[in-house]
Amino acid sequence: MMRKIISGNEAVALAVKLARVGLTGIYPITPQTTIIEVLAEMRAKGEINTEIVRVESEHSAMAATFGAALAGIRSFTATASQGLLYMHEMIWWVAGSRMPIVMVVGTRAVGAPWNIWNEHTDFTSERDSGWIMAFASNPQEALDLTLQGFRISEDERVFLPMMVGMDGFILSHTKTNVLIPNQEQIDEFLPPRRQPYVIDPEDPVGMGNIFPPEEYMKLRESIDNALKNSEDVIREIGKEYSRDINPLSDYSTLNVKYKLDDADYAVVLMGAWAGDAMEAIDSLREKGIKIGMLRIRYLRPWSESEIRNWLKDKKAVLVLDRSTSFGRGGPLYVEIRSTIGDLVPSIKGVVSGLGGVTVSKNDLLYLFNKFVEGFKEDVIWYYPREVGKIEFRTPRDIE
Amino acid sequence: MSLGLRGILNRHNALLSGTSACPGCPENMALRMLGMGLGKDVVLVVVAGCSSVIQGNAPYNAFNFPVVNVAFAAGPATASGLARAYKQKGKDVTVVVWAGDGGTADIGFASLSGAAERNENILYLCVDNEAYMNSGGQRSGSTPFGAITSTTPEGKKENKKNLPLLMIAHNIPYVATASVGYPHDYINKLKKAKQVQGFKYIHVLTPDPYGWLFDPSKTAEVAKLAVQSCYWPLFEYHNGKLEISPESLHCLDKRTRRPIRDFLSIQGRFKRMSEQDIKILEQYIDDMWKKLESML
Repeated sequence: MMRKIISGNEAVALAVKLARVGLTGIYPITPQTTIIEVLAEMRAKGEINTEIVRVESEHSAMAATFGAALAGIRSFTATASQGLLYMHEMIWWVAGSRMPIVMVVGTRAVGAPWNIWNEHTDFTSERDSGWIMAFASNPQEALDLTLQGFRISEDERVFLPMMVGMDGFILSHTKTNVLIPNQEQIDEFLPPRRQPYVIDPEDPVGMGNIFPPEEYMKLRESIDNALKNSEDVIREIGKEYSRDINPLSDYSTLNVKYKLDDADYAVVLMGAWAGDAMEAIDSLREKGIKIGMLRIRYLRPWSESEIRNWLKDKKAVLVLDRSTSFGRGGPLYVEIRSTIGDLVPSIKGVVSGLGGVTVSKNDLLYLFNKFVEGFKEDVIWYYPREVGKIEFRTPRDIE
Repeated sequence: MSLGLRGILNRHNALLSGTSACPGCPENMALRMLGMGLGKDVVLVVVAGCSSVIQGNAPYNAFNFPVVNVAFAAGPATASGLARAYKQKGKDVTVVVWAGDGGTADIGFASLSGAAERNENILYLCVDNEAYMNSGGQRSGSTPFGAITSTTPEGKKENKKNLPLLMIAHNIPYVATASVGYPHDYINKLKKAKQVQGFKYIHVLTPDPYGWLFDPSKTAEVAKLAVQSCYWPLFEYHNGKLEISPESLHCLDKRTRRPIRDFLSIQGRFKRMSEQDIKILEQYIDDMWKKLESML
């Protein structure tokens, strides 16, 4: 085990190396590009044996990764934004095939108009596809979740693909101190690849031809069951990972609490801005306001039991979305409402940070204060105070 | 099946009983011959199309190969992943992409072109019935000028996209055309392709009774007429050299070509063609042969 100052993308590339991935389908898209560049560099230097297929699109990146997985090889890819949307069809195909694969998404806004900066909408828009979906809040977690991803997706109680989200630029390009496991530790942690079936002439099976309606629906239900089963698997594997590999982080739960147990007010969010939120919470705690945070680390499976237990006695809950579900606030807001709507008297939502809008600790302090005082609207769109309120414009108005 | 094929019939029975193909299906013919040409160690990647239906309802499968059915545009990339994984595992497997003309000329072309450019060690088979026959016979980029389809009821106004020539332009080691009307020629090309390292492309004309509007008993006859009238050239391009197959050699001299009307009149899809239209199609055929001749 060693410590190194590296970016989120470098951390992911190291995880791919440590997992001894057999093949990765690569196609560049900002901000995940440096993951695949680092992998290509490692391959050129002979540090890894990973087969690298430099394909012509993200659709093909997922397809090539899928092909290798079908043939029985551990495989990986990474993408973001438009790329994730472009591979959307294959994302469903892979989940429907119950094929273990790990993918990292360096989350980024989607067009139009062009915007290369951070938000979570690309990631959250895949939440019904049948993938396990984890979201990191720092480069360390990006590395740890990617490694756990192989173990989780290849568990016979799961056999579903897994994607790990990571805030584009904010984590992908920021260098922090990361604890890097040894190869021996990971070799012990990750058993040889397991999968539900292998496409091989020695045992000819067909995958994906027409299913009669009832059989199709049963397969859909099996995905639903596998996703639910994965909750316990994730806790079990997380506990083992924290015990044997990274004792500084606790992966025994799906989601993460911060000063939540005794809190009257709770903030729910996902991703990198958890760091700023924790600082804002510390400031409010100093003033005697009992506020805490629940950070969503797994969007799928959605741990209803954890979330209900942790939030059941709160006076009010505020959900921060760096993502949109147009007309319904943000996806997390909708999920939280449907999970604790009967338990918590007041659930409010804030949509902010879209398209790379910087939300600072001070902005969060302002928002949390406003929330504790109680605001009328169910969901507000918040722009940092330095920007002020921006008038709604159509492209024509800008001329 | 003609007597001449008996000797190779047992190579590998690619089709089991109980396919859900229509009577007279040329894709069934092409697949049976695939088994004769390639033998056993084959993995099929089938993109959306008739062949994903012909296999029958899961959990049964009438294709006697391991089959991966995959989304329309994903065939060549999925095959790339499979082929590289088998190589890594030290397994000798011929990975075959089995795609129709829509999956090849239209939606799957970027993926095909990418895999060809990377010279992946796979065999790509385009089974060309010249329209989206599985979804009701809509026009594709491979539909010929003048043909009636369900989206060109007045007859298609554009010429057929010449995919074999496009593939030659990719500098891949092996490109060939075939017709289910000439099994020996097709099977020999498959055998040859199997020996070639790198990207192999074979384009098989598969006349479809229901889309082309002819009697299902006449599939082989129409497939032969396409070649005899020089509408469909049979050739092979190997190691940078083009060679016209024996069945098409007569096309090099315009005088010895069978009249195109023989090919057109046996089907219903060309019935709206005027004299002027037939001239346009003839011009297309002339131009294609001039191009091929210039490459010899």
